[in-house]
Amino acid sequence: MRITCPYCGARDAQEFSYLGAADPVRPDGMAAAEAAMADYVYLRDNPAGPHRELWYHGSGCRSWLIVTRDTRTHAISAVEPAKVRKAGEAA
Amino acid sequence: MSAQPFRLASGGLIDRSQALSFRFDGKSYGGHAGDTLASALLANGVRLVGRSFKYHRPRGILSAGPEEPNALVELRSGARREPNTRATVAELFDGLEAVSQNRWPSLAFDLLSLNGLFSPALVAGFYYKTFMWPASFWEKLYEPLIRRAAGLGRAAGAEDPDHYEKAFAFCDLLVIGGGPAGLAAALAAGRTGARVILCDEDFRLGGRLLAEKREIDGRPVAEWLAAALAELESLPDVRLMPRTTVFGLYDHGTYGAVERVSDHLPQPQPHQPRQRAWRIQAKRAILAAGALERPIVFPGNDTPGVMLAGAARTYANRYGVLPGRETVLFTAGDDGWATARDIAAAGGKVAAIVDARADADPARKALADRLGARLFAGGVVERARGGRQLDQVTIRDASGATHALACDLLAVSNGWNPTLHLTSHQNGKPVWDEEIHCFVPGTLPAGLAVAGSAAGRFTLATALEDGARLAREALGDLGLSVAAAGPVPAADDEPCGLKPLWRVTGGKGPVFPGKAFVDFQNDVTDADVELAAREGFRPVEHLKRYTTLGMATDQGKTSNLSGLAIMAEQTGRTIPQAGTTTFRPPYTPVAIGALGGHHRGKAFRPVRLAPTHGWSSEQGAVFVETGQWLRAQYYPKPGETDWLATVNREVLAVRETVGICDVSTLGKIDIQGADAAAFLERVYINGWKALPVGKARYGLMLREDGFVMDDGTTSRLGEHHFLMTTTTANAGKVMQHLEFCHQVLWPDLDVGMVSVSEQWAQVTVAGPKARKTLRGVVDPEHDLSNEAFPYLAARAVTVGGGIPARLFRISFSGELAYELAVPAGYGDAMMRALMQAGAPFGITPYGTEALGVLRIEKGHVAGNELSGQTTARDLGLGKMMSSKKDYVGRLMANRAALNEPERPSFVGFKPVDRRERLRAGAHFIGVGKAATMANDEGYMTSVAHSPHLNHWIGLGLIRGGSARIGEQVRAYDPVRGGDILVEICSPVFLDPEGARLHG
Amino acid sequence: MAETAQWTPRSAWAGIAQPGTFGAAGRGGVTATLLEGHGLASLIAAPGGAEALARRVEQSLGLALPTAPRIVSGAGHDVIWSGPDQWLLRARSRGEMPSLIAELARYAAVSDQSDARAALRLSGPHLRDALAKGVMIDLHPAAFAVGDAAATSVAHLGVQLWRLPDAAEGPAFEIMVARSLAGSFWSWFAASAAEFGCRVVAGRG
Repeated sequence: MRITCPYCGARDAQEFSYLGAADPVRPDGMAAAEAAMADYVYLRDNPAGPHRELWYHGSGCRSWLIVTRDTRTHAISAVEPAKVRKAGEAA
Repeated sequence: MSAQPFRLASGGLIDRSQALSFRFDGKSYGGHAGDTLASALLANGVRLVGRSFKYHRPRGILSAGPEEPNALVELRSGARREPNTRATVAELFDGLEAVSQNRWPSLAFDLLSLNGLFSPALVAGFYYKTFMWPASFWEKLYEPLIRRAAGLGRAAGAEDPDHYEKAFAFCDLLVIGGGPAGLAAALAAGRTGARVILCDEDFRLGGRLLAEKREIDGRPVAEWLAAALAELESLPDVRLMPRTTVFGLYDHGTYGAVERVSDHLPQPQPHQPRQRAWRIQAKRAILAAGALERPIVFPGNDTPGVMLAGAARTYANRYGVLPGRETVLFTAGDDGWATARDIAAAGGKVAAIVDARADADPARKALADRLGARLFAGGVVERARGGRQLDQVTIRDASGATHALACDLLAVSNGWNPTLHLTSHQNGKPVWDEEIHCFVPGTLPAGLAVAGSAAGRFTLATALEDGARLAREALGDLGLSVAAAGPVPAADDEPCGLKPLWRVTGGKGPVFPGKAFVDFQNDVTDADVELAAREGFRPVEHLKRYTTLGMATDQGKTSNLSGLAIMAEQTGRTIPQAGTTTFRPPYTPVAIGALGGHHRGKAFRPVRLAPTHGWSSEQGAVFVETGQWLRAQYYPKPGETDWLATVNREVLAVRETVGICDVSTLGKIDIQGADAAAFLERVYINGWKALPVGKARYGLMLREDGFVMDDGTTSRLGEHHFLMTTTTANAGKVMQHLEFCHQVLWPDLDVGMVSVSEQWAQVTVAGPKARKTLRGVVDPEHDLSNEAFPYLAARAVTVGGGIPARLFRISFSGELAYELAVPAGYGDAMMRALMQAGAPFGITPYGTEALGVLRIEKGHVAGNELSGQTTARDLGLGKMMSSKKDYVGRLMANRAALNEPERPSFVGFKPVDRRERLRAGAHFIGVGKAATMANDEGYMTSVAHSPHLNHWIGLGLIRGGSARIGEQVRAYDPVRGGDILVEICSPVFLDPEGARLHG
Repeated sequence: MAETAQWTPRSAWAGIAQPGTFGAAGRGGVTATLLEGHGLASLIAAPGGAEALARRVEQSLGLALPTAPRIVSGAGHDVIWSGPDQWLLRARSRGEMPSLIAELARYAAVSDQSDARAALRLSGPHLRDALAKGVMIDLHPAAFAVGDAAATSVAHLGVQLWRLPDAAEGPAFEIMVARSLAGSFWSWFAASAAEFGCRVVAGRG
């Protein structure tokens, strides 16, 4: 598999490590109920189709990336830096 | 060396001026440069080349290519011996040694061929039916029996002496196959300046052009081919890779290929690998892998001398070998006729042509007449016979009358299957083409096009046209100009009519009809397929597993379709209804050695060496692998033969005077920024904002699920500057986690982090004389007194007259201890300076074993306790958990189930009988209780022999934990036969007040 | 007290690689220069601080911080992109690192990495062939221009590499690997370059 890092360009997937779904948002640990945190930690969708997921370019620029990958074909339709994206969401 | 009785006087692509000598089953033969082992054996009249897998039937050479199911040999000898090598693709070299397989005691006389007489017991599913009960017989009786009787060749059993390597390549267009379609594609693309890679599994490029007497652009193919290759070689961005099999297609245009760099040599040239595994990244690819000819199933079809017609033609035209003196052709289509024509041209006699098609085409009739061959239109060969060598076939003509004909070659042609394997590696399903009676590529993987025979477009003209057209399309897709692609090579279309005939039945043999083989390699007959149908194993996947059809090294290249066709016929369905054949990588077998490349033995994985490694080696240290690192485990002195004696000495030195131990392997992460303290608050369970500059603190971090991830000390070097240490094992994981926390969870924090693990050589100086030792190393302007540099001080100092260093007063051993860090290049010098400064005190280097003993004596947790299944409370560190702030793992760690008092928690253990040895991994069972899972109360995580206490001590997790101090339980270790009584105690075995630490 | 003279630094390549030749004799396909003595620091700009840092680097060193994976070189220094808002600063002379670090620390998180890497300059007519045995990125001149840089993985080791202007003997690259992994890197490199013949020389960063 190849992932096109928005900073480094197309690289072999061996340079990256996978974490999981990108969309769950960590609740504030002081404010949230235990159940909400349990959802964040454990509950994930398992879509057959496009999936937004976190990859870490550990052998490259050390950026966390949000990769949109079709789980059926491995076709990758988008790769964005998580930091930029998450900062935007928070703002 | 004998003569080569079947070698033609002229013609072919062998170099008759280069004589090569080789041995087969101990006998010497001669061949020529350009031969394969198979062609050389045929030239010498050797027909019997192996025994079959199950019945030990005599087998000959069926094909002239990678699909060969029969002619599998052990190639080379000694450590280089390689089993299951296909003689049809093994390039001949001088001195080649090959041995036939599956025969005992000899190829000609095989005792196990008696298996054939007992064959009713060896039908489909025989493994399941015969060797089932009793189960205890498997290991001792059935398996050894099967392994001796069946199985293919023998592995070398010795370490492979050769080197293998990997390589990576990139191109605009990858062309797979160097036949007419592939060459036309490479020429068109290469001329435009595109980056082209052309791979072919053969040692000579040309594909079927090497075996056919045809013309391209009005020139004989050999002439055209030479010009095409010369042109390709002149193009700087075209890489021609013969002897290279593209074996797999992977996601996003990645292709796996193996280049047989030295397989054609007795042994690799100096500094050359045996094989090279390529990972080719191609923007576009054209599969031009040609097609594989199909046999016909009829009784005796495995007799040596029965050969695929295209292969017979290859031996005659390419290798200058007459594959038979007296040939019968049995064909279901037009292509077989070319074999009759070419064999006659080579001087062979064509006794008969059996064309299963009933229509008597006048042109074919005329050709048969011209060749002097009897023509049986609408006839079939109903039996071949001859034991070790074909001597007769029985032909049934259209009227049903039978004719026995003497012959030594039966060339069989039943049309061709496109070599479409790579198109299904990404789940593509081949589709049945009713017009041409074969599976053709279905949905194609992105970026791949299929040209020529591989796409079912079988004629030379269409192959050339396909290649050139698809190359232009591929470059066009990439936005590259095709203006310079040049003209499309032109050729005539040859006839390729076909009415496939899958098997011949109804022969009335004298005693029994004889076996008709579908899968030669696995000895699967048509009767086996029928049996599978009767017993309900009808889906193609069941058929494969029940009969073993299509398994093993050839993966059914010559058998899958016949098997499907018979199953379809048995179940009243069409072939596509019966199933499709799908293929997974690799296309042909690939040596594991090639895939491993350089990475074996000591180079299996990267090894990290500490900056003090050279010094430790000089001291005679014994090293241990911890993660990627090699760390000094202990430093035996001359005369010490027992590692425990060494470790005891090292531990006592630390307790009594001073010792030094490399801790450079700990992860070190520089964390800076206005929000650095706030960031640490969120990743550690304890507080950091109040930590003064110049101080260190122990920190514990959790995973978000509430379990402990890692621990270490972190120092505040400046208001906005911290230095975190991690455990050796988790350094990479923690770095990744911190980047996650920063980039994904809290991107708005002003904090940056970078690993400085490699920058610093760090050493622990521990023991009552630690300060005095350091005094001789740290420059005099730095006050090291207890008041000026108290416990947990962490500051920049200089050593050796101005070299920047960092000094941390932290202790893992419970002694007065420091960690001194200097730039890694000075690590070696630091050890020497410390040894010199500590010499008056008897300074002793110690390794990871003593480090472990020291921390177990003090009850500090380490990797064994940070197992990923323990919480801060389990480890007795619950008080560190701040309630005033959010941090990773906070909410989950507070779940009720993780706070039950009955959860196993951290305590110490000592044997009731102090002479007993403790074992890590032992489980705790109540005294007088049965050793069952239900009675399991926890387990011992770490043990050590304490030279201070002079008995074994342990740390572990047990239900109820510290509430049970003083109680006795069993430490039960059935694996090593241990079952001893231990007493639960405090995990701190030494100096619980910490007086030594603060000294 | 320890004498200053005792504190002799040990090269990252000590005990691993030494000047000489190895592999196929008389081919000289690859030349490896063991680089010593450079200073190195990592720079991480604060949020929104990249421009200020870039101005400072421009003023102090006359170098424009690259905003893509590139190296920008001057007479005494190079700046190498190593991640978003992150760079490596290399100085020919290690002696000036403390003052450089102190100066730039006001604009970025600066960490001394002078001892953290083992570095090589590689050149030669067969260099690309040797590198292709482990480098998983495309180093063809059309794909990787002079001055292009990459953080990537070679034979399971993290490296940073960049392309220098072609040398007389062929293409030229520099490559840096973690100091602790220098031995494993050299094991791969020596095996990969042997068929082309390799000359090893000592040099300065």
